Parts: sequence; C-alpha cells; structure tokens
Amino acid sequence: MKANTINPKISRRKFVALSSASSALMLIGCVPSTGKDKVVNLADGGVETALNQFISINSEGLITLYNHRPEMGQGTFQSIPMILAEELDADIRQVKIVQSEANSSLYGRQMVVGSHSIQSEFMNCRKMGAAAKDMLVRAAAETWGVQPADVKAKNGVVTANQSGKTLTYGELVAKAAKLKAPENPKLKSVKEFRTIGGSFPRADIPLKTDGSAKFGIDIQVPGMLYASVQRSPVFEGKVVSFNQEEVLKVPGVTHVLKTSRDLFGNREGVAVLGESYWAAYQGRKALKIEWDNRGLDKISSETIRNVYLKASKEPGDVLHEKGDADRAIRNASEVIEAVYEMPYQAHVPMEPMNAVVDVRADSAEFWGSTQNPNGTRSYLARFLNLPEEKVKINYTFMGGGFGRRSRTDVAEEAADLSKKSGRPVKVIWTREDDQTAGPFRAASVNTCRAVLKQGKIEALEHKVVAQEIRNQSGSNNKAGRQLMGGVNTEYAIPNVSVKGVLQKHHVPISYWRAVYHSTNPFAHESFIDELAVKAGRDPLEFRLEMMQDHKRFKRVLEIVDQVFNWKDKPEGVGRGLAIAERSGAHFAMMIDVERNGKGVKVKKITTVVDLGICINPDTVKAQTEGSIVMGLGAALYGLTIDKGAIVEQNWHQYPLLRIGQCPEIETYIVKSDAEPDGAGESGLPTVAPALANAIYDLTGKRIRRLPLDLEKLS
Amino acid sequence: MAISFKLNNKETSLDVDPQMPLLWAIRDYAGLTGTKFSCGIAVCGACTVLMEGAPVRSCVMPVSAAAGKSITTIEGLSKNNDHPVQKAWIEAQVPQCGYCQSGQILSAVALLERKPNPTDDDIDNAMNSVLCRCGTYPRVRKAIKLASK
Repeated sequence: MKANTINPKISRRKFVALSSASSALMLIGCVPSTGKDKVVNLADGGVETALNQFISINSEGLITLYNHRPEMGQGTFQSIPMILAEELDADIRQVKIVQSEANSSLYGRQMVVGSHSIQSEFMNCRKMGAAAKDMLVRAAAETWGVQPADVKAKNGVVTANQSGKTLTYGELVAKAAKLKAPENPKLKSVKEFRTIGGSFPRADIPLKTDGSAKFGIDIQVPGMLYASVQRSPVFEGKVVSFNQEEVLKVPGVTHVLKTSRDLFGNREGVAVLGESYWAAYQGRKALKIEWDNRGLDKISSETIRNVYLKASKEPGDVLHEKGDADRAIRNASEVIEAVYEMPYQAHVPMEPMNAVVDVRADSAEFWGSTQNPNGTRSYLARFLNLPEEKVKINYTFMGGGFGRRSRTDVAEEAADLSKKSGRPVKVIWTREDDQTAGPFRAASVNTCRAVLKQGKIEALEHKVVAQEIRNQSGSNNKAGRQLMGGVNTEYAIPNVSVKGVLQKHHVPISYWRAVYHSTNPFAHESFIDELAVKAGRDPLEFRLEMMQDHKRFKRVLEIVDQVFNWKDKPEGVGRGLAIAERSGAHFAMMIDVERNGKGVKVKKITTVVDLGICINPDTVKAQTEGSIVMGLGAALYGLTIDKGAIVEQNWHQYPLLRIGQCPEIETYIVKSDAEPDGAGESGLPTVAPALANAIYDLTGKRIRRLPLDLEKLS
Repeated sequence: MAISFKLNNKETSLDVDPQMPLLWAIRDYAGLTGTKFSCGIAVCGACTVLMEGAPVRSCVMPVSAAAGKSITTIEGLSKNNDHPVQKAWIEAQVPQCGYCQSGQILSAVALLERKPNPTDDDIDNAMNSVLCRCGTYPRVRKAIKLASK
C-alpha cells in the first residue's frame, strides 16, 4: 500500500530502529536509535541511513523526516518537520516527509488532541534535529582533520571555514551514524531561525488537490469485507432480536452479526457484512431489529434542560476560589444574574467514521484515520488478547477529527467483526450514524452572578452544570476541574468563585474542538459584557482594566484597540468583543455585525492571537479561520434529543456553516519569542460570546441561549 | 450486465448492480478513491464528479445513469496536478484535512467553465452547497479568484 509521502516515486520503507539504543541521547519521551540496523538498503541500490528515529539521509543526500503525529488538517505534517529541519539545517522545501510508525517506545505519545503536538514536541524535535546536525558536523571535521568549531552546516552541506571544502549530508551520513549522539546538542537561538516562522507551503496539500492523499476510508485490503452497522437509535438500547436469515438473502451479503462498541457504556448494534459497501448497506436497510430501550426513550432536550436548570440552583462543588464571593453576593444590595445555555454538538468530520481491521491467528493489523495511534494499538491488543508488538497500526490522513477520532470505538467494531467473520473488515459509518450515535460535545447550563462596586466587579460567581468527559459513569458525583475549562480566572476581580454541578446520564460525550472552552466562555464573556454595560463602561476598557497585570491578555486587547480601532466603529455596525485562553494561546476577538433585513449579518471577525513562537504563520491563520467557522456554526446550530435519540439525522437538519455565511476573517499574530502554544483551537471559544455581544451592541437584544437565529433578531 | 462509460477519458466497463451509486462504483470497483463519501444524500458535495463537464453528486446517482457518458473525477482533472484550479488551490493553501477538496475543486472547475470571472455572489451561489468542516471557505474564495485571472 502506498503511504502518504511527498515524493510518491519513492516508496515507503520500513524504518528499522534498535530499542537497545545507547542512552547517549535521552530526550523527552523518545529514545533515539543507533547501531548498524539503522542502515537500510534501497531497491535502487542506494543506502539510507538513520541518524535517529526522526531523520534519515540517503547517499544521494535526500533527507527523510519522519513525522510522528497523525494529520487531520491541523498542519503538523509540515510544522513538525519544519522544527526538525530548522536545527538540522536542512532546506524544508527539499526534504521528504513520511509518517512514522505508531510506536510509543520510539516516539512517545503520538495522540493529536488539545492542540498539544507543537507545544509538547517543540524542544524534542529541535534536539533531534540538532543532534543529527552535530553528528554530521563532527563527521566532516574528522574527515578534514579540523575542529567541529571550524566547520559550518547549512542547507544540507557542511563547509570547512578555512579551506572552503564542502561535503554534503549524503556524503557524511554513513560516517556520522557511527558517532555517538550528543547528550545536550547545542540549539539555535531564536534569532538564528530561518525555517521556523516561515509560511512554507504544506507538503500534504498537493496530495489533497489531485485525489492521491489516502484516508482511512480509502484503504483496500485483499479479501476485505465491508460492514454497515445499525446501532440503537436510543442511546444504550439493547438488541433483542433481528431477522438474520432474511437479510442473509440480500445479494452480496455474507454475514449478519450482533456487534458492540464500548463508549462510556456498551453500545450495541447489528452489522451487515458484504462483498461491497453497497451490498452491506442494502442488507442493513433490510434489517428488522427489536430493541430493548430500557425506558431510556423518555428523555429529550427539554427533560435534560429542566434537570440542568434545577441543578443550577444547587450550591455545587467549588472548583476555584479567590476571596469570598459567596459572602459578597449574599451581602450585596444588588446582584446581577444571568443563565446561559448551550446545546449538544456533533463532531461530524467530513470523513465519516471508519476502520479496517484484519484479525489473524496470532496478530492483528489496523488501517485508518485515528487521532490516537498508540491508544488504538493498546486497545486492540487488550481486546484481542495479543501482545502489543503483534498489533500493527497504519494511520492515514484523517478527513477531519475535531476530537472524535481520539476514541477507539470504531476500531473495536471492525476488530470484533473481523474476528467473527475471519476476514479483514472495513466498517463505514453513514453520516446519519456519525451524527446521531455520539459521542457529543456536552450540553451545558452556566449561571453567573456578580456584584458591582463603583463601576468595577467586586465579586463574581460562575457555575457550570454539565456532564464531565472524565467522569461519565460510576459513583463519584463530585465535579472535577475539567468542567470549568474556559472560565477566565485571570481577571483582577477580588472575589471569585467557580463551581460545578456534575450531571450524569447516558448521553455519551467526548472531546470536541476546544472542549469546555467551546461552551463556558460563551457564558463568561457574555456576562463580563453584561457587567460592562451595567457599569456604563466600554467593554474593552472594562476588560483591559482587569488585565493590567496580565501581559498577554493586556497586549491582545491593546492591539484590538490600537491596530483594529475598537472605538472607531463604522456607522450601522454592532461590535462585540471577547477574550479567552485555550491550550496556552491567548486571544482577543472583535466581531462586527450589521442589519440584514429582519435579521443580522456577520460582517467581519478579527482575531488577535498570542501563541508564542509561531512555527508556520500561514498554518496558524488557517487553523484560526477553521476554528472561527466551526465556532460560528456552533453558535448558529445545535443538536436536539427527543424520545431518547438525536432528532437531526443529516446535514439538511444540522447544517454546517456554508461559504455564503462565512464572514471576512482577519488574523493578527502577535510576535513572540516564548515557547509555542497550541494553535488548533484558538479563536473558537470567543466566537459565540463576541457575536452575542455584537448583536447586543447593534440591537439591544441579549442572547443567552444557543443556538441563536440570526434571522430573528429584530 | 456491465455498465460502460468513459472514466477520465478511459473506456470503462463495470459489472455492478445498476442501482449502485456511481460513487461506490468509482471507488470500490474502478479503484479511484479521490471521490469521497460523506453525507450520502447529496447535500455536502464531497462526492462531486463532472458528467459531460457538469457537476453531479455521485452518492445519489445510480451508476446506470452514467452509461455512455463521460465522467471526470479529481484523478482525471489533469495529468500533473496542474489544472489552473489545482494550481490556485495549492497557491492559496486551501486544504486542511483535504477530504472535501475533490468536490470543492471540481465544483469550482464547473463554475469557472460557466463564468470565467465570477463575482463574490457567483462564488457563493455555486459553492454554497459544497460543505467543509475545516472551514477553508475564505481560501476557497481566494483560490477561485486566483484561478479566474
């Protein structure tokens, strides 16, 4: 099978590494490989030599950089190699990028969630690049009988300072590989960066304009069966019986089997397997299943809402406390209160869930789109009772993830069906399956209370009522700190209390882009705006005053004010502001809206983001644009539950934002020498509150419940 | 009975259920996986192919409807990824995950065939039903304008 590489003429070769590697270079989570096995003989007669598990160079000088993080659109396929190339002093435009194998002993944690890849790999990849360069430099110095300080490496060539002699990395690599890797290779100073900070075109993009990029759903394995699974529409409904014999008569259908997957509870379904996807799907349509809904078909969005609203009156568990907000609120003559509500959301990546698994007698192999290659490997090993080294994970490009693909439930279905049928199986979910089965972004009720004193916030209480991803079952009913994600505790307010009231029921939830930062900031930043209005203050000045001691928030607010002329609002425009932090990135967002018939139109969204050193500014801009489009969609649309099941079946009922609804977007990246923060979610948390604040500014109407309808705001 | 049509300028004959959507015939039988399955009900455009140059949603079109017609998929748009729209897409760095992009590109190709210099409204009208979860819309707009130059 052809792997995703930027040079399709060179096939992917197995990267050989010794786990008995010398401890000369112990880096964060990674052990570099050394030793003779690192030399790979190529089919064309050349030789490729690995300097460590991230960097191989062939005798022609072609540098291969192994990218160990799956790509779902976030762009680390380019930005991780850029970090390696920076310290290696290789030309990023000339290298070949190959996805590494899934192997936590070589690469540490490979899961892509929470915009962590760049922040957690920045130093590691720099050291890997620098260590390889150090070995090449010493090999050159040794060859010429000079000191390493007397030679210089640049763009894949080492030059002797005095004689001017040159050797390419390809000529040096065999010798360099025999040298001991340095323990603490010298890293460049930020000023010396030539690759980091450059908007180099992404190597995966040409593969995505000619159809050659392979996604999980594109995988074909000899002898493979296709499966389509009818899962219980009611969450946690159980299979009582189904018409197996009848469905087996559908042409092309080979098996009709009960299956299940674990997703915070056992989720059952009936799978139809066939020689083609179409045959399996035809068989699925002929299924007649009797379900035992166990009384779970009584719940609806309204019943859940009523429970949450009632729960919001409970004291809740204290998650964060400063001063004594309770007392200040109790003793105040006037308390300002507001309740905010947010619906469930589905991830709905464009590529529906799917997985290919081949379970053999004493091994198993997985192919597919996963954010979690190590987790899939250990999960399948446990599920199939195999040692981990007998489970091979082939991770592909993902057609979007947004958190959904961090779960291993789809691999479980494919493994279960492969085991039962004795053939490799590709499970493909339909869009309806994907949208209705979950897991979802948690619905939430937030209540905020505050006391103002002389135009300033004296006390603020923020209470979050929601399910918690890490605590969906079991007997512990205490709210955890995960629930308060995105509640901004950096404002200089003397008395602050953040509380959680944990909700537990059987609607499965999981990580969705920005997680609780996708809900709580809507309440928090709307409420700050309400307080500014109540205090008769400018919303930006009001925030800025409370962020005087917080350099990063202060700076992004000042840029909105000075560069984007916050106070110089055009005629007929409503303008809203919100700030947030997510995954270390600090940002301020300004949204302009204007009247559009009886409704409101989003005109422009401006984001000022400070995320430390920016590896690839164009990728950061792309991620911010994507976060804004997703955040705007989530402000305008949501899922509802009726009779224990999701009502909206497909995109005609749960729309994604369309191009015609996409406003002008401008992203300003603050220049910084600090270590990088996460770029994949910044911008999303602020869309809903900045939009609601802009709508208030234009119409005087305060939106406290999402989704909001832009057509009905007059 | 085999169904014959021209697929990327090549005579192709597939022995499949005539009711099978063109999408699955192209992907699973002709082996061209650049055309994507996403919504299955013709509302997202990820499965867009060109039939006689016009964009069609292959997820709901039975393969029998393609009999005798000329079908172009993303793989057949150009030999070297160098159709003006592909070049513009790379220049504007449009794709993120990339999954919807075959449909975006082929829809843009059809738009530019009809209107070589589309206005913003023309772009919105033609591309409004081609969905992207990554939110590449600002760059789709930019790339279409680049390609129209």
